[in-house]
Amino acid sequence: MELTRKDFLKASAGAAGLLLLQPPALAAAKEPQTQEGMAMLVDVTKCVSCWWCYAACKEYNKLPETVRPDPEQPPPLSPIVWTTLKPVKEGNEWHSRKQACNHCTDAACVEVCPTGALSYNKLGFVQYDKEKCSGCGYCAEFCPFGVPQLESNEITGAAVMDKCTFCIDRVTNGEQPACAAACPTGAIKFGKRADLVKEGKERVAVLRKTNTSAMLYGEKELGGLHIMYVLDDSPEVYGLPAEPELPAAATVRDIIQWVGVGAAIAVIAGFGINYIIAREARMTSELPGKEQIKWQKHE
Amino acid sequence: MAKARIVERFKTRTIWFHWIHTASFLVLIVTGAILFLPGIGAPAAGGMTRFIHRIAVVIFVAAPVIYSFFNPRMALHFIKETLTWGKADLDWAMAAPLYYFGGAEENMPPQGHVNTGQKMWQFIVIGTGILFLISGFIMWFLKDIVATGLFQWCVIVHDVAFILAFLMLLVHIYLGIIHPRMTESLRSMWDGKISKEYASSHYGKWYDEISASEK
Repeated sequence: MELTRKDFLKASAGAAGLLLLQPPALAAAKEPQTQEGMAMLVDVTKCVSCWWCYAACKEYNKLPETVRPDPEQPPPLSPIVWTTLKPVKEGNEWHSRKQACNHCTDAACVEVCPTGALSYNKLGFVQYDKEKCSGCGYCAEFCPFGVPQLESNEITGAAVMDKCTFCIDRVTNGEQPACAAACPTGAIKFGKRADLVKEGKERVAVLRKTNTSAMLYGEKELGGLHIMYVLDDSPEVYGLPAEPELPAAATVRDIIQWVGVGAAIAVIAGFGINYIIAREARMTSELPGKEQIKWQKHE
Repeated sequence: MAKARIVERFKTRTIWFHWIHTASFLVLIVTGAILFLPGIGAPAAGGMTRFIHRIAVVIFVAAPVIYSFFNPRMALHFIKETLTWGKADLDWAMAAPLYYFGGAEENMPPQGHVNTGQKMWQFIVIGTGILFLISGFIMWFLKDIVATGLFQWCVIVHDVAFILAFLMLLVHIYLGIIHPRMTESLRSMWDGKISKEYASSHYGKWYDEISASEK
């Protein structure tokens, strides 16, 4: 990856800005996401709904309940289902979209996570440190795809989120994620994001000859997803929002955090000024009782 | 020269209520701020702080409910007092800067049992309390039912209520404990009494009323 001078300056300015604004712990946790790095390309036209990705994910990540799901009633994402299929009937054919964390470049979950449990990995995915999770559920509520899942105790609120990890230990050791390795048809491909964008576009160009709805999803969405999809129909059909966005409330939250801090500092500074002036004034003016003496002394 | 502190300003039950409410609110602030302010969320890991937040809010809500149940007239009076605003409040606001900085009392209109600033604080407590409770109730109990967009704005409402309540709390603490002229404020929240001098100088209208009723 070539780093131009401009990019470097931009990144430095951004990093300096972050350091100025935020405590060091946070600046370290909020490493800006890269649009590059590794990615997966999911091609719905090649998926035969065999559920091997589901099984491989369950097995590798040691998630319970590994029975083959009923394809008519696919299990929704949950703390023990990190990837599942969204089956769609096209004419007489079933096509499925593999559903899991999309590892956004601009990830709402990372923006709102208060504990730094969710953060960006330099390989391009959204990594997750379960130990740090407080179970607040903000990620689940702010994710435009509804991916993070929690099951919480209604009274205590105890909960821990779980989601696809991009098989971080496999990927950092140069292996494919378990789902991609298990896919027998090449519907899930793992590789450098730049290569997969190119491959996805080529595949869409081929599909377009017979199907004008064919499209590549995830190239630009939310700064670029690290799970991209070759679709043969509109995104909504496959349960994907046509134009996913960072929720406005996430941005508002970022702003009011600093408004709050700024206002508190201003108010406390105001107290300091007020105290000095009011104390002086009290010594020189009449108050019932002993202040009279001070006033005389002041003369 | 010590002044005789003989004017009853707060009843014992009111003092108890005040400090229980204070303690629960301080716990709510600490366990809430770690999720609100960036970079200090680490203690929330594991979710124990949320459990503490929920216990504290039960006390925070139960305290005024129980107090109002046993003292309905005082509670109604408190609400009425908080919602009654008039020209005297405007006069107070105009004269307040000179008074709180310079101690100029000439233009300060005589105040009732609470002054305009304290009424503002009561108003903020009730107003943000309602915002906190509605947004908090939704986030606690209706999380899985309401649309994600509503949940998101409940987080924002909780945040904004926090900023307002916290800033006013800072003012309340500063004026109650630190400000050079509020010499008997904190102690009155301890034993309920103030001196005649303090009463007539700070709450002239109220002092005249209670003096008249005693005669």
